[in-house]
Amino acid sequence: MKYIDILERKLGRKVTKAEIEAFTVMWSEHCGYSHTKGYIRQLPRVGFGGNAGIVPLDDYHFIAFKVESHNHPSAIEPFNGAATGVGGIIRDILAMGARPTAILDSLHMDKVTEGIIDGISDYGNSIGVPTVGGELRISDYYKYNPLVNVMAVGVGRNEHLIPSTAQKPGQVIVIFGGATGRDGIHGASFASEDLTGEKATKLSIQVGDPFAEKMLIEAFLEMVEEGLVEGAQDLGAGGVLSATSELVAKANLGAIVHLDRMPLREPDMNPVEILISESQERMAVVTSVEKANRVIEIARRYLLFADIVVEVTETGRYVAKYNDGTVIDVPAKLLEESPEERTYGYRPVEMPKFNWIKFKNVDAHGVFERYDYMVGTDTVVRPGYGPAVIRVKSSSGYSLVIHSRADLGLQEPYWAAYITLLECVRKTLSVGARPLAITDGINYADPDVQPEGLAAQMKGLKDACEFANVPVASGNASLYNTYKGNGIPPTLVIGMIGKLENLNVPRPRKSAIYAIGFKDFKLERERLLWNEIERIAKAGYFIVSMHDFSTMSTLKQELQKIGLDMKVKSPKCEPVHQLIMVFGDVDTKLPKELIGYCN
Amino acid sequence: MTASFPKAQVVVYPGSNCDRDALWALRYVGFDAEFVDIRSHIGSDVNLLVLPGGFSYGDYLRVGAVAAREPISSEIRDFMSRGGLIIGICNGFQILIEMGILPGALLQNSTGKFICKIVELEVVDNETPFTRYFERGEKIHLPIAHGFGRYVKTNGLVNSQDNVIFRYAQDVNGADELIAGISNENKNVLGLMPHPERAIEKLIGSDDGLRVFLSAFNYIKTSSENMLQKTKVGVA
Amino acid sequence: MQKYRFVVDVQYKSNVRDPRGEMIKRVLNDEYDIPVTSLRLGKSIHLEIEAENEGDAMKLVSKACEKLLVNTVTETYEVRRI
Repeated sequence: MKYIDILERKLGRKVTKAEIEAFTVMWSEHCGYSHTKGYIRQLPRVGFGGNAGIVPLDDYHFIAFKVESHNHPSAIEPFNGAATGVGGIIRDILAMGARPTAILDSLHMDKVTEGIIDGISDYGNSIGVPTVGGELRISDYYKYNPLVNVMAVGVGRNEHLIPSTAQKPGQVIVIFGGATGRDGIHGASFASEDLTGEKATKLSIQVGDPFAEKMLIEAFLEMVEEGLVEGAQDLGAGGVLSATSELVAKANLGAIVHLDRMPLREPDMNPVEILISESQERMAVVTSVEKANRVIEIARRYLLFADIVVEVTETGRYVAKYNDGTVIDVPAKLLEESPEERTYGYRPVEMPKFNWIKFKNVDAHGVFERYDYMVGTDTVVRPGYGPAVIRVKSSSGYSLVIHSRADLGLQEPYWAAYITLLECVRKTLSVGARPLAITDGINYADPDVQPEGLAAQMKGLKDACEFANVPVASGNASLYNTYKGNGIPPTLVIGMIGKLENLNVPRPRKSAIYAIGFKDFKLERERLLWNEIERIAKAGYFIVSMHDFSTMSTLKQELQKIGLDMKVKSPKCEPVHQLIMVFGDVDTKLPKELIGYCN
Repeated sequence: MTASFPKAQVVVYPGSNCDRDALWALRYVGFDAEFVDIRSHIGSDVNLLVLPGGFSYGDYLRVGAVAAREPISSEIRDFMSRGGLIIGICNGFQILIEMGILPGALLQNSTGKFICKIVELEVVDNETPFTRYFERGEKIHLPIAHGFGRYVKTNGLVNSQDNVIFRYAQDVNGADELIAGISNENKNVLGLMPHPERAIEKLIGSDDGLRVFLSAFNYIKTSSENMLQKTKVGVA
Repeated sequence: MQKYRFVVDVQYKSNVRDPRGEMIKRVLNDEYDIPVTSLRLGKSIHLEIEAENEGDAMKLVSKACEKLLVNTVTETYEVRRI
């Protein structure tokens, strides 16, 4: 059934033109997660449901983190697509009351696309959030559908944790940030398909404004510090409509939205355009009437626009007005209740024998040295080593990994997802951290054509999370990554947060280098391997955990910078293996082989 | 009269993003340090002013151009004339150049790209308040992170070698004569593209930058003690 | 073969946002009290090209614009002979 028919049945009447526009955005795959929410519900979760996932770091701090894709915009306009991708995910972190502290990116493309790298670099560097790690996978499979997944992380103080909802009638919502223009109208539905079932192809370009984003970050954190923020949402896909309806719907409240109060960049915009514009660098802040003026004052001091746009009501209805006219009037909950596509069961099969499908090797230095990975002076382990380690001044620190195995996804999505998670755990343990939680970035082709692959991937993720006892705190889904009917390999990107008790991270040193573990994979050995990695890291030995040891040029170069010359014979292994590389002669009950030296 | 800690202020421009790092570094070495907003005023008891890195006003027009024309600039000039110490780091250096306090120009890197890495530098001049803790010719490591750090000498403005304080050991951004940091003639203003405030702990890569701030700290301490000594002598 | 000189003036399309221009306009308005009502930041590219005649030269310049100099998704351009 077409979504439009479902909508009319629920409303009990014909829809208006404005409602079609509004629900096209809200029930798009991008906003509504129709195809994936059934699977996401089955995952073991923690700190889920807000703008970003939340896990406790210590007694005083929480970590907010999330991965988000900006694939479609980056395909059309690499520079601005990637830049606004960074901007959007940063605001998700910010909305939780956390200061953004790190960016990681997972890039899949057919060649190093300068525009994408420049977009991330230009935006991230300017806002002063370090890009501390990432993965760069080059393959022709992504020729028409590059994948730009950006993970952002932030740290906040517990008393500053901000809910992603309004709480009571009488509150108001201030929208502040850059002025609103027509940019990105229907961006959300462009990123998936529209209500009529037609795949949307409308051009929709958002231009990033990193200076406004930086001002937005500082203004918002000042509001949080002053205790002015009672709830918050960033304005991303679906603009004012999505942000404000989510804020009230989650609390079973309603809203009156005064669209005529929105500061416009293009004065001739019609009310629906104002409602769904995806202009970047804007936030919605729930506050009380008394505090609202102070919120506006702070925003203006940071050279931003701000106004009270929404009154929170008890009616449960979402009413958008322009002057005295009503633009839409619908139940707020209905906007959030996008129809749910059926989920498919998946019965795991035994792991197949995977073949090596090599993605092209590139030297990552040419990429990560264009990102400011040091600003904030907390980057303890910098790009080039694998996992990043970030400290929290006056506390401990955390590890960050972003990882995917599309080469396996191409062959069998269940085990690909499973193995990706296990490898994230190994990487996290290798720097002496313990896994806390993950964020998952689903990148998939057409779920209507190949629903079983998505089901397999999601089941693999669920089973692996349960095996590892690592919950999911946030996630994102990008579907319809197809070109003329051909899709990308199922590409599950996992971002993992780990916790460090201290910052005595194992460092490389002059030593013999050993390959420890198994050249093939057996699930029942995985825990044994984890215990060994944990023990070896604790003993201070530098560990390298990679899925493909055949190309280690980035690590070799990184070691050269600190005066070390690594000479190793790459250990031969299966595409899925249980092998790590250890710098130093450590006792272990696992198979061990001398493979080279570091001088 | 009790000897107080040297006082420092970090000027926060809209778009500065190394302001918090600079404050952390200053406090780490013992400065009594705080931020100063561009609408506010430089404290009368301030000894050291830091113009931090970042992208003031997004660097949308020219690097440092809009920030250099803020009203606080006249206060910065007065502070300099009184002999106060100023360090401009990265965007701060660009702002000092746009203000005309330091000579030359900073243009886009010869690679055309932003560069972030730890580089080797040579300390050319150790007789400034900022480099007293270094040996002349000493090789040190500091991070760089900039897109517009290629220093070019402009006609007649760099009149002598005396102004060059740091040089890159190898070419990184195409700068004239490998120039990484310079001072004014009085040597109370230092502008440099590398980030000493990012190199104050071995944990995060290098602690060579620590000595830039320690030098300034020690210089301020000794000059104020000398002043105190002179006052005492005067009284006796 | 003759040498021809051109200026290519590259601007964002009118429906594409120019945050840099907006910020500069705002500073001029607010801090310098100069009543600029519109400001768009673009690029101007000066180039010299060898061709048989002006028509050929112009074609080559257009090709350079379409292939590399201009992001035709977000930008428009004008070519002037100088």
